Amino acid sequence: MSEAPHTVKSYEEELKNLNSNIIKMGGFCEEALGKAIQAITTRNSDHAESVIKDDEKIDKFETLIEQQVVNLIALRQPMAIDLRETVTALKISSDLERIGDLAKNISKRTLLLNENLPKNLVDALVRVSSNVQKQLKSILDAYLDRSSSMAMNVWESDEKIDDLTNLCMQEVIKYLKENEKNLDDGTHLLFVTKNIERIGDHTTNVAEQVYYLVTGEYLEGDRPKGTEPIVTGEK
Amino acid sequence: MRKNGVNMIKISAKNVDVFYGKKQALFNINLDIEENQVTALIGPSGCGKSTFLRCLNRMNDVIDICKVQGEIVINDFNINDKGCDVVRLREKIGMVFQKPNPFPKTLYENISYGPTIHGMAQSKQEMDEIVETSLKKAALWEEVKDRLHEPGTGLSGGQQQRLCIARAISVQPEVILMDEPCSALDPIATAQIEELIDELKKEHTIIIVTHSMAQAARVSQRTGFFHLGELIEHGSTDKIFKNPDNTKTQDYITGRFG
Amino acid sequence: MNKNKEKLLAKRYSSEKRFQFLGKSAIFMALLFLAIFIFKIFSTGYTAFQKTWLIVPVNFDAETMYLDANPSKEDLEEADYFEISLQSMFNLDKNANEKQQNELKKMVSYFFEREIKQELINDPSLLGKTKDVYITASDDLDQVFKGNYPRDLPENQRRVTDYQLKIFDQLVEQGKVESKFNLSFFTYPDSREAELAGIASSFMGSIFSILVCLAIAFPVAVLAAIYLEEFAPKNRFTDFIEVNINNLAAVPSIVFGLLGLGILLAVFQLPRSTPLVGGITLSLMTLPTIIIACRASLKAVPPSIREAALAMGASRMQTTMHHTVPLSMPGTLSGTIIGLAQALGETAPLILIGMVAFVNTIPGSPMDPAASLPVQIYIWAESAERGFVEKVSACIMVLLGFLIVMNLFAQIIRHKFEKKWS
Repeated sequence: MSEAPHTVKSYEEELKNLNSNIIKMGGFCEEALGKAIQAITTRNSDHAESVIKDDEKIDKFETLIEQQVVNLIALRQPMAIDLRETVTALKISSDLERIGDLAKNISKRTLLLNENLPKNLVDALVRVSSNVQKQLKSILDAYLDRSSSMAMNVWESDEKIDDLTNLCMQEVIKYLKENEKNLDDGTHLLFVTKNIERIGDHTTNVAEQVYYLVTGEYLEGDRPKGTEPIVTGEK
Repeated sequence: MRKNGVNMIKISAKNVDVFYGKKQALFNINLDIEENQVTALIGPSGCGKSTFLRCLNRMNDVIDICKVQGEIVINDFNINDKGCDVVRLREKIGMVFQKPNPFPKTLYENISYGPTIHGMAQSKQEMDEIVETSLKKAALWEEVKDRLHEPGTGLSGGQQQRLCIARAISVQPEVILMDEPCSALDPIATAQIEELIDELKKEHTIIIVTHSMAQAARVSQRTGFFHLGELIEHGSTDKIFKNPDNTKTQDYITGRFG
Repeated sequence: MNKNKEKLLAKRYSSEKRFQFLGKSAIFMALLFLAIFIFKIFSTGYTAFQKTWLIVPVNFDAETMYLDANPSKEDLEEADYFEISLQSMFNLDKNANEKQQNELKKMVSYFFEREIKQELINDPSLLGKTKDVYITASDDLDQVFKGNYPRDLPENQRRVTDYQLKIFDQLVEQGKVESKFNLSFFTYPDSREAELAGIASSFMGSIFSILVCLAIAFPVAVLAAIYLEEFAPKNRFTDFIEVNINNLAAVPSIVFGLLGLGILLAVFQLPRSTPLVGGITLSLMTLPTIIIACRASLKAVPPSIREAALAMGASRMQTTMHHTVPLSMPGTLSGTIIGLAQALGETAPLILIGMVAFVNTIPGSPMDPAASLPVQIYIWAESAERGFVEKVSACIMVLLGFLIVMNLFAQIIRHKFEKKWS
């Protein structure tokens, strides 16, 4: 936030409110992702179900934020930093909503998975997901602190997630090749991996928005990409 | 009139200082105005934006205690030079004021006044043409063509202001200065004037002082922000309204001032 | 707390009521005084517009007038009308003794001979015949007829004798006394005889004075005002001039009279008692009034109009002459008229420059001696004859009428030409 408060206090409050809604929504997404991962690692279907149930909350937040943004634009005509704040809030909220959806999707698949998964697979998954979780947390911190350097860091480390995802995919493919019985679980796991990677992508989107919010400039160049995924036919 | 993709500089102010008696109103203003562009000057009341505008056609001469220092170069000619003829200067640089101020005469006389004193028409027919084209350019012709010989003060506020614009363009000025031209008008009249400004910039260079940031954003390509007699920031309107460099500018345009 | 508030509120209302009451009573007082004043003037003055005539049979006897039967116009002019005039008066009472005949003669104005002459010149065929002629009654009988003369005074305190009254009453009974509109009040110059005195000379004197005053004061004042307001730099010197102009407007008028006396008459040797000198003196007095009015109306022209003209590239001179001055004219003109109205009512300076002299001719130019209306009022008010009392009021009515017309004119100019600038 800029140093001086607005002359119109209600405007200031509306912006603050919008800001805190994004933070809250981010918090819910963080929680959803954490629970979804935990559900896989600990094989706890309660967690998975609560994620599925709580997604509704996140969706509601998105609607709320969208309304707030529309109101701000219509009634306050925000300029400069306020304008960027409003517009990025809209985009960040839609990314966060997608993150919520993906976490829900992971949880749904978790419920269908076999009780006993090979440890190496779970480990690979945890490696990716813990990175993504870290990213999500730090981008939300970056948003809270209006830190362009933190946002830049998040953006740059998307590469690492892509690499880890590929590794994880390879593990899953190996698992699939082992036994025909593994087909069900393997496919689900492929999607779970992919979803986690997608969450990473959305986090990177948020990082771009935060960077624009703070500096007023767009992050130039292509998004850093890891090695090309070897799995073809992905969605 | 682009040269290598860069707009030509029409007016260039260099180190302009203005004093009202002992009080300094403008501090070292350096600003280039681009040709065939709309430049908006914004800033809080008393920041000196109107004072600067009035430097450009030497309207500050009217005020005895007002002293202008520095160079204002228009067409390679410093208008603050002793040799500058104010009457010729004001023929080149028209002005539209905050409150519509048509002469209490007929519409026709309002428009024909400038061309008459500058001897721009040789016959009645030529004058009629000037009046017609000026009114057409000011998008007022259709509304008033049947009552050219009625008093100009009988028009609505928005029409009066367009009449004043028509009067200003009747002498084909290169530059038109506008000092808060819409502050006394309703939104529809304001929109009409804004549309007009957009049209006029094809032939004239326009500098507009406005209190409405939204208006500055709507009509201008370049924006300068004045504060306490200083030009804090100037640049493309886009940049100023989306991502200004200076925190003061940002605080002003987002309504965080004071 | 609440109680105090209510008390305060009641106080505020009552003080407002009190104020309104005071204001209304002030207006009432002012109107009352005005009404009394006007009533007094009109009630004493209106009779002056009527004149009493005696209808006397006159025998235009050619022989008495030393005329032959068919006299030429010159003959008629030069004939002796005194005898037939006297005779016709004496005929009112055939038994009158010499003293009574003298009194009979004094029942009409000394102009009676000329009135009879005029009658014959208008109609020469009357020669040798007898005709009833309207003859101006003496001012005292005029007053008697109008009821302004106390009959119950002892005879020696009256200017009308019992005998005159007796004859007059007889004439009244016979219907030989008539009251008609007094045209001569407007067409005759001043006279020592109240029944013949008119305002023609002073009216013309006033008009000439005002014209001279206008011709001098207006251009000088307007130029001065325009220069001071539009062109002069604002510095100590112009401030000083401004203060002095304002002071000049407050200088007592008699001082201007002394100035006229000391400079115009003594130094420049201009003819005394003339509207020329009067007008010049009055113009000195009117000058500051017009300058102030003109400057005020120049100031009232919105600066936006000046800016508009300047921004169009008009020079200062063009701005002033094309826009500011025409817009200020209604105010200037009405200020001028009010200044002239003031000058019209001025007495003291005119007395000093000798316009108080008795003038029994009607002036034809500003160089002829003349009186002026307010001075005429002063002269008549000083006179002892009862007949002048109503003349004073009548003259005041004429002066007031003149002033009202001028002020009305000022109002009309202001309303008609005042442009509305937005």
